[in-house]
Amino acid sequence: MSGEIEISVKNLNLWFGNFQALKNVNIDIPKNAVTALIGPSGCGKSTFIKTLDRMNDLVDNVKFTGEVIYKGRNILNSDTDVVALRKEIGMVFQKPNPFPKSIFDNVAYGPRVHGIRDKKALNEIVERSLKGAAIWDEVKDRLNESALRLSGGQQQRLCIARLLAVEPDVLLMDEPASALDPIATSKIEDLIYELKKEYTIIIVTHNMQQAARVSSHTAFFFLGELVEYASTIDLFERPREKKTEDYVTGKFG
Amino acid sequence: MARTRYIRKLKELRQDVTEMGAITLRSVEDVLTALETSDAALAQRVIVNDDAINKFDRKIEAQCMSLLALEQPMAKDLRIIATSLKMITDLERIGDFTADIAEEVVTMGKPIRIPVSASKFNELVADVKSMVADSIETYAQGNVQLARSFEARDDRIDYLYKDVVQNMVNALAQGKCSTETVADVASLLFIIRYLERIADHAVNIGNRVCYMEEGARRYLK
Repeated sequence: MSGEIEISVKNLNLWFGNFQALKNVNIDIPKNAVTALIGPSGCGKSTFIKTLDRMNDLVDNVKFTGEVIYKGRNILNSDTDVVALRKEIGMVFQKPNPFPKSIFDNVAYGPRVHGIRDKKALNEIVERSLKGAAIWDEVKDRLNESALRLSGGQQQRLCIARLLAVEPDVLLMDEPASALDPIATSKIEDLIYELKKEYTIIIVTHNMQQAARVSSHTAFFFLGELVEYASTIDLFERPREKKTEDYVTGKFG
Repeated sequence: MARTRYIRKLKELRQDVTEMGAITLRSVEDVLTALETSDAALAQRVIVNDDAINKFDRKIEAQCMSLLALEQPMAKDLRIIATSLKMITDLERIGDFTADIAEEVVTMGKPIRIPVSASKFNELVADVKSMVADSIETYAQGNVQLARSFEARDDRIDYLYKDVVQNMVNALAQGKCSTETVADVASLLFIIRYLERIADHAVNIGNRVCYMEEGARRYLK
């Protein structure tokens, strides 16, 4: 793969108790690009991205081996500061989850946690983040309204703005548009296209057309294994593996 | 098996393209028989048959667009549809050239007199016919090995084409043609040009089948 690598995963294995959810995964995630993860339910793709910000630590009986190299360090090491890590590698979830606070306070939450108190500085961060998430024009006149009054698509973009406010490098997105209608979905997809200029994005999606539209690289997972990883055009036009071919043409089962 | 309706539609598409190929091939064979036997009635049927080829072209284009718009085909399915969509244009052009040859046969209306050795002309005719038959076979069977033979075979056709043209031009220049054969030579010059172009379209089909089967684009010309 040409270009700079943001995250390099080497021989990653992960178990929940006795169940092995990831089997010897090796993958280099390119910097400032969109990488899509596809595969049937239970294939390990969500587990995989949750490994990248150590969210799997919250699950009982989880055990892993291998390396996830980010900024020269293996983030799977036990001495990793996961709070600091999640500031650099942020996650957007399937269902928008704004805090029951004002739009402004949602976005200012992270910077405040990280010690920023100056009102002017917070105003600037909130405006910049909302603009970055392409929702500023829709909410600039009602920043003090509850975030819960926004539509689903707006809430999802607000959650993205909330991430941008803490200036991450990597955005992990787990089915970020699956709960949204087609118009809200296309807004999220346009946003992803813009965000990749400054951020590295990894998106899990069940929607193969979405993967094809937004990503430059696509990884196909099946039963915990990374079956194929290629440029998106290659994976959808001329996959190397029979399993990938069967999955992308919808002939599984 | 998932997506049974979609798989059936894809299968129908391949069957229809193969059938369009079969009727185009029959036109090629018929027109060459008509040329050989000076059968104006058979040539006339070839001209009428071009309409059937054109109808297939429009029908298959609609099938391809429907699959693309409604089914989001990927991987080999996508390549089958892209190949079919391009290939029907090649078949349609072969049909047009066949009808053009048929027009010449009708115009001549009598056995042709060639002022040069007929062996190379006959070889050219046989080669073009087998190339068209094989191009349809490559698509129907996904026979990449057969498709790969087209490049060398087309080189031979190009050589024969140039040789026959040169010999006829020489015969004209040397005054070897009677007033009647001059008109035949003019018709033949058109006919072999059409045959040479038909072979080029067969090569295109071979290249498209290689892409359909293997995913890599192949451009011989």
